[in-house]
Parts: sequence; structure tokens; C-alpha cells
Amino acid sequence: MSLPPLEIVLYAGAVSLLIIGLAGLVMSEHLVRLVLALGVAEAGGNLLLVLTGFRQGAVAPILLGAAPSGPMVDPIPQALVLTAIVIGVGVQALALALVLRVRRAYGTVHMSALRARLVEDLDEAAGLPPEGSREAPGVERPV
Amino acid sequence: MRNFTSLLFAGGLGFFLLVLAADLPLGAPPMLAGQGVLAEGAAATGAANLVTAVVLAYRGIDTLGELSILFAAAAGVGLVLGRARRRPDAEADPEGGFILLAAADLLFPLLVIVGLYIVLHGHLTPGGGFQGGVVLAAAFFLPLLGRPRNALDHAVIGWIEGLAGAVFVGIGLWALAARGEFLAPLLGKGTLGALFSAGTLPLLYIAVGLKVGAEIAGLMSTLQETEAAGS
Amino acid sequence: MTADAVTLAVALPLLAGFLSPALGRSSRTAAQWLGWAALAASAAVLWSVWVRLDGGTAAVAVGGFRPPLGIAFYLDGMALLFALAVPVVTLLFWPRAGTPQQFALTLVLAAAATGLALSGDIFNLYVFYELTAVASFGLVAAHEARRAQAAALRYLLLSAAGSVLLLAGIAVVYLRTGTLNLAHLATLAPERLQDPVGLAAFALMLLGLGVKAELFPVNGWVPEVYSSVSGRLAGLLAGLVSKLAVLVVVRALVLVFPRPEAAELMLVLGTLGIVVGELAAWRARDLRRQFAFSSIGQLGIVFVAFSVPGPAGIVAGLAVALHHLLTKPALFLLAERWGGAIEGLRGAGRGQWLASTLFILFALSLVGVPPLPGFWAKLLTVMSLMEQGTGPARAGAVVVMAATVVEAAYLFRTLGVLLARESGAESPQPHRGPDLATASLAGLILVGSVFALRPLGDGLKALAAQAVDVDGYVRTVLGGPGMAVSHPASQAPGGAGGGARVAHVPPEIAS
Repeated sequence: MSLPPLEIVLYAGAVSLLIIGLAGLVMSEHLVRLVLALGVAEAGGNLLLVLTGFRQGAVAPILLGAAPSGPMVDPIPQALVLTAIVIGVGVQALALALVLRVRRAYGTVHMSALRARLVEDLDEAAGLPPEGSREAPGVERPV
Repeated sequence: MRNFTSLLFAGGLGFFLLVLAADLPLGAPPMLAGQGVLAEGAAATGAANLVTAVVLAYRGIDTLGELSILFAAAAGVGLVLGRARRRPDAEADPEGGFILLAAADLLFPLLVIVGLYIVLHGHLTPGGGFQGGVVLAAAFFLPLLGRPRNALDHAVIGWIEGLAGAVFVGIGLWALAARGEFLAPLLGKGTLGALFSAGTLPLLYIAVGLKVGAEIAGLMSTLQETEAAGS
Repeated sequence: MTADAVTLAVALPLLAGFLSPALGRSSRTAAQWLGWAALAASAAVLWSVWVRLDGGTAAVAVGGFRPPLGIAFYLDGMALLFALAVPVVTLLFWPRAGTPQQFALTLVLAAAATGLALSGDIFNLYVFYELTAVASFGLVAAHEARRAQAAALRYLLLSAAGSVLLLAGIAVVYLRTGTLNLAHLATLAPERLQDPVGLAAFALMLLGLGVKAELFPVNGWVPEVYSSVSGRLAGLLAGLVSKLAVLVVVRALVLVFPRPEAAELMLVLGTLGIVVGELAAWRARDLRRQFAFSSIGQLGIVFVAFSVPGPAGIVAGLAVALHHLLTKPALFLLAERWGGAIEGLRGAGRGQWLASTLFILFALSLVGVPPLPGFWAKLLTVMSLMEQGTGPARAGAVVVMAATVVEAAYLFRTLGVLLARESGAESPQPHRGPDLATASLAGLILVGSVFALRPLGDGLKALAAQAVDVDGYVRTVLGGPGMAVSHPASQAPGGAGGGARVAHVPPEIAS
């Protein structure tokens, strides 16, 4: 049995990471897991990006000493992925800080609980009665 | 329901992207801009590492934006955790064991040297300000793991990141004044592959290294101080 | 001053932002003045460049590396108009009570938003987009109330997921074309992106950019964030940042993906946004969330308008976007004054005549009552949609008109409550400092524009003609048609070191 070409394997890996991360973002309930899923998705995106510069049998784009022996890979995606990685680090650090703060303020690390509490908080801040009394008399409805 | 549709979307997207593979020139990219950089990058910037040429010269403003993102994230973390940090009277984590303490002491000078080396050789070899900056941050953060009672001085960190960022923008403005183009490379290009070559690029990478180091160290130490005050 | 100086508009706010926290440790006032000075300088630079360009276009090769190798800024009327709006609006909505860190984040936000308006390179746009995102997460989370942190976290997760999609879209585009420059992409798109792969890349980028642009279905953060933060920040995000994200989408649509399917995708998502946003606004029981949902609806109209190909769609989209940029921030300021549940506001507007008059004015214009500008913006949208004449476009026009009815229903209901004769249990007094000066300014501009409809319309038409001129864009950035298709490596670098700047610059700029 022959293996599929290297670039297809790499591409499939990158796309799989991307999808696993996105699925994790959708399905996870725990806030830290959500941040981890984000990390996985970002890793997939970054791999996809750096893969765009991949060339079969090419060397790193660094000119040292003699003239390069073979073709070199595209340097631009490597620079792009450096940028994307740093962006990802910043976003994840901020996300973790927010998770810490939210856990302390709400005492929960579960997304659905957090969403419910957030809506309650918003209603309370607006001086609204709880959701249940939406259709109560006194709430004017336009004709 | 929401889960289901989103999953369907994620799965569909994955399937679609995998099917696309047949239509994408994987392994033999068109490289229209890439070939241009490979052909003229060394002559235009004097950097032997063409990735550095792209990061600091061709796409210098991307790097400025990237530094700003790290800066904004660090400032955001400071704002989010600012009021939640350790009270002075709170009990600190216990001091680390012998292994951690000894390793921190031994590794500190090594990490500083390696970090500086990576920063300074960014235009010649793989590495640069971002990678070296992270190593520098680790050097300063590692002792904190051993001795949680000590803390990094956030005022000093603030000045380092502020001034390093200002130096990066300042070099850009200098180019605007001298050449009429923001962030254009200045100074002599030197011999390809020499330490003192590639004009202002190594200076930019030093600024990047200091800024990244200060920001990552500040980020981690803020998180650690919060940890100590937690629950 | 040459056009190159336009990079100062991005660099100076960043410089001030970097220094602001360190400086603020010793003097908060100094940090504040530094920020104001940087924004004023940024506005002055943009203004002088606009005056010097005098209706022409120019490209700036940042760092002196000619596109498509380096990053290019593209300056036309549309870019400069939105870029100029950034420092002005940021100054008006400056977080006066904030800390030096908040000043820094606001400055970074302004720099990134300016970059979004000017940049002509998709990855550079991604960087600036992420920068606006991270800066706005920090600004949202800086609020004391815990709901702001929860809203910021949910916003961050959604936005970061969108960014991954955007990045994947960019990767696909780069893999197909081998370039990131919008002008170069415009020359390559007809042969390399006119297939399902290109459409998929556009869809991915649209979803990614749509998070900030409040596009359906990635706008869940909007009501949560806007009702947790101060009116100033909500105004800044709803008014300015969303428009710049839309601007990026429009550039991508016009230059890189000029396909009917891409426009149709925008039309459908925009229409759904209108329906969802306006219905939710109708159901909303408090002022802030009503405005937040109405913002989703308005942005939906913007997307629907921009989906019409050709200058007519651009004119309509710009009109709706600018009108929303003017009214919604002012409405958020008024909402901060009254705040809270709509039912609790019974009679609150009586006795506050200036605020009530402004509210009536903005509400009427938002609904689209002639002769206020909102009417003309909606009229342009509906007319351009009807002229296009395809089934989905007609349906979009019908939805826009139906949305007007819904908007009228809920805004007039709110108005009725505000001005009701009988007072509620306890009439809520404005509990925060009156912020009427900015809102009054917006009101004056709104009324003033009624008397300048013709010049405004002509101006928008000129902007739109420039914006859809793909050949002009390519010529300006790459310095001649056909050149980009040839191999970039075959053109030897000219000039000293950095490569030649091939940007076309009108003679009066070069002097």
C-alpha cells in the first residue's frame, strides 16, 4: 500500500485540526475547554497558512555562504504564520484572563450557565422584571 | 439545535475543504510574490534570512500591528485582572523545592544568553525578535516560579514595552523623514551573512525582542499573581 | 506633504498608545493629552492628504517595497473618508473617565481602524482586523460590572472563531494566487478565483469579517456587549468599527470576488440580518438592546445595499452606512442618559427638551421619514435593488421596506413611552453626566445634510465611481495594466535599495 503524497497528509491534518477546534468551540461547555478548542482551531489555521508556502523538495529560504543548492520554499507564509501565531497567543492570554475573572465573578465555568446569568444580569441592569413576565399585562404591545 | 446546525456547518466545511485539496496547487504553489522576494530580497534588505526580510521589511507594518496586538492583549489582561490581583497581606505560594530553585538559578543566565543570541541573529538564522523575546521572558519568569514571593516590577515592564514600541515606530518615522517612506530600511546593508548587516533590521528586531519579552513576562507574571490570590 | 505621510495616521496613534500606560503612571493628564494630540495629528495628516489628492487616487508602498511584494496603502475618496472619520469619531467618543490603559487601547483601536480603511493587502487587513478586535475586547472588559467581562469573553470566543475562518480563507486565496495584494489579486481573480474554490474563500472571509460587521449569523455578541458597556464605547463599536469591517468586505467583493454568487450570498445573509435584527429589536424591552438589535438590522441593510453590483449599490451602501455612523452612536449616548427598561421610562423625556428633540430626530431619520437623510438612504437602497431586478434583489427590497414598518413600530412605541403625559412610579432622572454635546453635533450634521442633499449625492457618486473602478485601482497600485500578470521577479528592483515605488502619484502630490 502506497502512502498518499506528503502535502495531502499535511493538508488533511491542518483541516482536521481546524474542524476539531471549531467543533470543540461549538460543543464544549467548560470555559477552559473552549479556550483550548480555540487553540486547536488556531493551530489548524496556522498549519494551513504555512502549508501554502510548501514546495516539494525545497529548502529553507536562508542564504548562508554559497548560493542555494535547490529551490527554496516561499518565505512569505512563514512570516505570515509568525504573525498569526503571535496574534493567537495574545488572544488566548486575554481569553484565559477573562475566564479567571468570570469564574470569580459568577462562580461558574460553564458556558450555558454563564449565558443564562449574563442575560439575568443584563435584565437586572436594565431594571426589567425576570423573563417569565414578558407577556404580563401592562407591557404595551403595538397595534 | 444550535449545536446540531453548527456541527453540521463545521463538518460540511471540513468535508468541503478536504474535497478542495484536489483543486489546490499543494506542494507547488504559484508563489508570484514569493518568487519576487526570493529573487531580490537579499539585495533589497541585506538580510540572509529571507523570512526576516519579509517580516521586518516587506511586511514591516504587519509586524508593527502584531506588536500592537500583543501590547493590546497585555494591556487588556492588566485591565481585566488589575483589581483581582494579590493583596499585600495575602499568603503567597510556598517557595519551590531545591530542584526548581537550582534550575532557575542555573538556567537564568543561559536563557538570557540564548535569548539575546536568537534576537541578535534574527536576520541571519532562523529566529528573531519574537522567538528570542519569548526565551528572554522565560528567563525572567522562571525564577518567579521558584520564588513566588518576588514579583516583577510592572512599572519597569511598562516602560520597557512602551519604549521598545516607541523605538520601533521611531525607526519607522526616521525612515519617513530620511527616505520619505515609513519603515523603509536604512543604513548600510553590509556583507550578506555578517552580524552587522541588513541596516536597521537588527535594530528593529532588538526592539521587537525587548517588547515581546517584556510583554510576555508581564502577562505571565500578572496571571501568576492572580493565581496566588485565587480562591 | 507627500502621500507617503499617510502612514503617520496609523503610526502616531500607535506610538502614543505604546507610551500611554507608562506615561500614565506618573501623569494621567499627560497620557490623555498625548492621545488627543496623536488623534488630532492623524486627522490633520489625513485631511491634508485628502486636500492634496483633490479627488485623485494614490498608492503608498509602505517601506518603499513596491507592491505586490510589499504592502500597499490605497488612497481613494472612500478610504480617506472612512479613515478621516476614525480619529474624529474617536476624539468625540474618547473615554474621558478611563485609565491610561483604556486610553492606550482606544488609540490602538483608532490606529487599527485607520489601517482597515487604507490597507490594500488582505493579510495586512487581517492584522488590523485582529488589532481592532483585541483592543475592543480589552475596552469592553475594562468595565467594572461583571456582565461586561462575561460579554467580552463570549465576544472574544466568537470573534476568534471567525478569525480562524478568515485566516483559512486567506490561506486558500494565497494558495490559489500566490499573492496577497488586492490589486494583484484583482488582476489574477478572473482566471484563478472564478470557481467554487474562490467562492468558498469568499464565504470564509465573509463569515470572519462579518463578526465585527454584525452580519447574520455571527452577531450573537452584539446585544450582550452593547448593553454591558458605556454608551461611548457602544457608539464607537456600533458606529465606526462595524463600518470599517463592512468596508473591507466591499473592497474584497469589488476587487477580488466580482461574482454574482458572492453578491447573492451577501444579499441573503444581509436580508436575514435585517429580519432577525428588526424583529428582535421589536421584542426588546430595554432601550440599549433595542438599539443594539436595530444596529444589526441597519447593518443588514448596508450589506443588502452593497450586494448590488456597480456604483448604484456602492452609493446606496455608503449612504446607509454613513447615516448609521451618524445616528446610532448618538442614540447610544441618549440611551446612556435614560438607560434601562422602556416601560420604566414613562414620561422621562418630558422636561428634557433637547434630548427628546434629538431622540425624535434620530428616530425619524432611522425609520426613514422624508426629508431626513435616512429616507434618501433607504430610497437609494430600494431603488438600486429594484433596478437590479433579479428575484432575490426584489425580495431584499421588500424586506427593507417591511423592516421600515417594524422600525417605525418599535421606535414610535418607545417615543410614545418617553413622551407619555402620565409619569411612571418614579420618573428616572438622568443618572449619568449629560452627554448631549456630541449628540447635538450629530443632530446638527443630520439636519444640515438635508439642505445639502445634492452636493452630498454627487460626492457619494464620485466616491462610488472611484470605488468600483477596478482598472484604476490596479493601475494606481501596480503602475500599469498587464504588468502584474507578468512575473514580478522579472522586474529588477530600481532605486536605492528598497525597490522602486511604482505608485501612480498625481503631479501635485509629488511636489
